Amino acid sequence: MILENSVKERPESEMLDRLIICPKCHTIHEKVAIPKGKSALCDTCKKVLYHYDERVLDHGLALGITGLLLFFVSNLFPLVKVEMLGHEQHVTILSMVFSLFENGFYVVGVTVAFMVFIFPLMILVDYITLSWLMRLKKGKQLTKELLILLSKLLPWNMVEIYLVSILVALVKLIGFMQIHFGLSFWSLVLFVILDTYLSKRIHMGELWELRHRIYTYG
Amino acid sequence: MVDKQIDPSKLLRCPVCEAVNIDREGDVYCHRCQSRIFRNPKLGTSRAWAFLLTALILYIPANLYPILVSERFMAREGNTIIGGIILLWEEGSYPIAMIILVASVLVPILKFIVLLYLLISAHFKKHRYTQVDQHKLHYMTEVIGPWSMVDVFVVAILTGLVHLGSIRVIAGPGATAFVLMVLFTMFAALSIDTRLFKERGSHGRG
Ligand SMILES: [Zn+2]
Ligand SMILES: [Zn+2]
Repeated sequence: MILENSVKERPESEMLDRLIICPKCHTIHEKVAIPKGKSALCDTCKKVLYHYDERVLDHGLALGITGLLLFFVSNLFPLVKVEMLGHEQHVTILSMVFSLFENGFYVVGVTVAFMVFIFPLMILVDYITLSWLMRLKKGKQLTKELLILLSKLLPWNMVEIYLVSILVALVKLIGFMQIHFGLSFWSLVLFVILDTYLSKRIHMGELWELRHRIYTYG
Repeated sequence: MVDKQIDPSKLLRCPVCEAVNIDREGDVYCHRCQSRIFRNPKLGTSRAWAFLLTALILYIPANLYPILVSERFMAREGNTIIGGIILLWEEGSYPIAMIILVASVLVPILKFIVLLYLLISAHFKKHRYTQVDQHKLHYMTEVIGPWSMVDVFVVAILTGLVHLGSIRVIAGPGATAFVLMVLFTMFAALSIDTRLFKERGSHGRG
């Protein structure tokens, strides 16, 4: 049905693509050209609608690869080490998940593993592959699948909430035991800063427009 | 450019690619990403109700059963969410007690109230708030919702970290109920059809 109508509907879809609906308050706006490095805001609720960044793919690729490196470091070494009465124990993201499994908390373990390990990793790999393919102007169909997957993954990434939770957990332990931060903790802090910045920069609508321009006009 | 007028009340935002689409009778496919973005709004509403009621039921065991169990020298002690907050408060960790109170108690309750309000007002087609405010409320539930995971992550970290000699902290059955409650509330928020927030008369069905 869609394919049959696509030729006839082209003028209509072009007209629709000049409009944007605010994700927060759903006010309809007409897109306007904005200067380089600036953002367009919704005049009803002040939410950022889109940016103008002509090197969005280069920036995305650089940030994505840095993020992936930080993610590996965050998972290779202990996040925190505690000491009490001669006993010592450390934790990594994966050892935390295994502890939950060992104690029979499969639902909690699987959910936590997806939210702080699997989804963040998938988002990074998806984003890097996407930016790379679009820069090479290859894989028209694959970039579409990757964009759809990316929008479904984004709401389930909870690394920043996890970082806050580590601090809350440690405050509970202060006074009972000595706490040492590991290399992975600091790498996780950097990762969360980068991830937060990246998710503020990723506007799905912009990536779709870019994809349309790249594969239509070359 | 194109002399065909577009009715602004019939415009929809694709939740996948953010493209603007025209609402048509029946299923709506996005013109840009081809995802089926909206089905019969009634189906979305009944799914949202089912998820929300499941979440509400799960909220009871999540609060009745301990979320955390600590073992000190053979003595076992379970802490419910509320019990943990009271304990932190008595120990003088006021900021942490407040964080857990907001994330584990206030955020889920606020989300329940907002989702119930949105679903009930859509049912009666009576809107005390404007369309813009309803969209903002819905957006807010999607933004604050994930923060209710804080306590679960804390329990997960403590389970992985604290097993030193005769002292051990592990998750409690309340944690499983709480995780499921958070997941079902997020599913409910995601399955609400935003077309329900439109004022009466802009749609022939609904
Ligand atoms: Zn707005
Ligand atoms: Zn779409």
